[in-house]
Amino acid sequence: MHNLYFLSAIGIFIAALLSIAGYYYVRGRQSPQMTWEELIKELTWVDRNAIEQVALDLVDESGAAKGAGDAANLEPAQLWKLIGGLKGLEVLETNSEVLIDLAFYLQQWYPEALVIAERLRLDARELKWHVARLKAAVQTGNLQTSFPFYAQRAVVTYYLMTRRLLDLYQAVDFSMLAKLQEAL
Amino acid sequence: MHLTGLDFFFWAVTFLENLGLLFVLWYRRLGKSFPFFTALAMLCVMRTIVLYFVLRYGTRQSYFYTYWSLAIFDTLLQLGIVYEIASRVFRPVGVWARDVRGSFIWMVGLSVTVALGLSWLASPAARTWAESFVTKGTLFAAALISELFVLMMALSISARLPWGTHVAKIAQGLGAYSLVSVLIEAGHSYFGVGREVRAFVFLSHIRITAYVACVAYWAVMLWRKEQPSLEMTQEMRQKLFTIQRRVEYDLEDLRSRKKL
Repeated sequence: MHNLYFLSAIGIFIAALLSIAGYYYVRGRQSPQMTWEELIKELTWVDRNAIEQVALDLVDESGAAKGAGDAANLEPAQLWKLIGGLKGLEVLETNSEVLIDLAFYLQQWYPEALVIAERLRLDARELKWHVARLKAAVQTGNLQTSFPFYAQRAVVTYYLMTRRLLDLYQAVDFSMLAKLQEAL
Repeated sequence: MHLTGLDFFFWAVTFLENLGLLFVLWYRRLGKSFPFFTALAMLCVMRTIVLYFVLRYGTRQSYFYTYWSLAIFDTLLQLGIVYEIASRVFRPVGVWARDVRGSFIWMVGLSVTVALGLSWLASPAARTWAESFVTKGTLFAAALISELFVLMMALSISARLPWGTHVAKIAQGLGAYSLVSVLIEAGHSYFGVGREVRAFVFLSHIRITAYVACVAYWAVMLWRKEQPSLEMTQEMRQKLFTIQRRVEYDLEDLRSRKKL
């Protein structure tokens, strides 16, 4: 009987590991073979002027927070309209993953770009965190009060990601910059 | 102790393969990048030589203790390889990626707990406590290493941390071999240990075959070059330096996390 428990446990253990490995292997198998053009096509169009307007309401162009005198002026209703609500944020969340892939694409050829790529990766995690807070707020019925705070910060993060990526491409591969600017 | 022609054949093949792997590591200058992995290959070569002489001139008991002492080193080096790979994947800028630190610790804790649970459940049909301990210990090590590799892969993909080609191949090989080892040790536990047990001999040969396949895989994969990087011009480097200065606070922030 004891051996039966043991063999069952081994069977479950192996099956679980193979399932986890298989799932994540399929999920992770993507970027290395994707061309740069394919990565660009993965980006969903967003109104960059609206993104810039929302972001620069809270920070300056370098990403530093504005002083008390320059406090955020956009009203919650304006923010909702400019960002496109929760759906708009989900688009930014998806795009942020493509931005990471674009940075890592370049980093494969220029390993020194690793610091920027890692910064973008952490920025994307921060963006996801803000979106997750808002999704939780939907469950608790607090979206209206939570949206201005978390959504604007998510947009700032996205805006800074795009700036860093454009700066990186400008520094390293000018030939791809124009297409990237157009896509972003 | 009587070894068959097949046993000596396996010895010869693993010895030559590990020599080949060492040559690849030396030729491709991968020894510095993967010190634990290189040490494991060297241990395998040395172990074959030592065990051969102990078998020829020593006693059954001296062979038993030499074999299992070297097996402990082998396991420790495998755990070192796990650390080596985790270091490459989860420390992209020289410090552990802060967003995965907690998950990584949780993952290690879970892996150790599950491996302990499996080895506790095992009740090997062993004649002595030493045989029982060795069987359970080998099962624990194999389960732990296979879990760590699978969970590392899951965590890195969730966190979007990239794997280099060589790192991925080493991890795949060792992870697959560890999974096979779990099955082999489960079989040893069920059928019993000792060369007089036919199932033990059969399963041991399966393990060696898996090991031979694994080493061949590593030799071929590590022989291939990773994607070549391009040289940056001075102008590019200057521009990149400027961007990095702008994110300098972030870089300091990343590095300062090491102190937490």
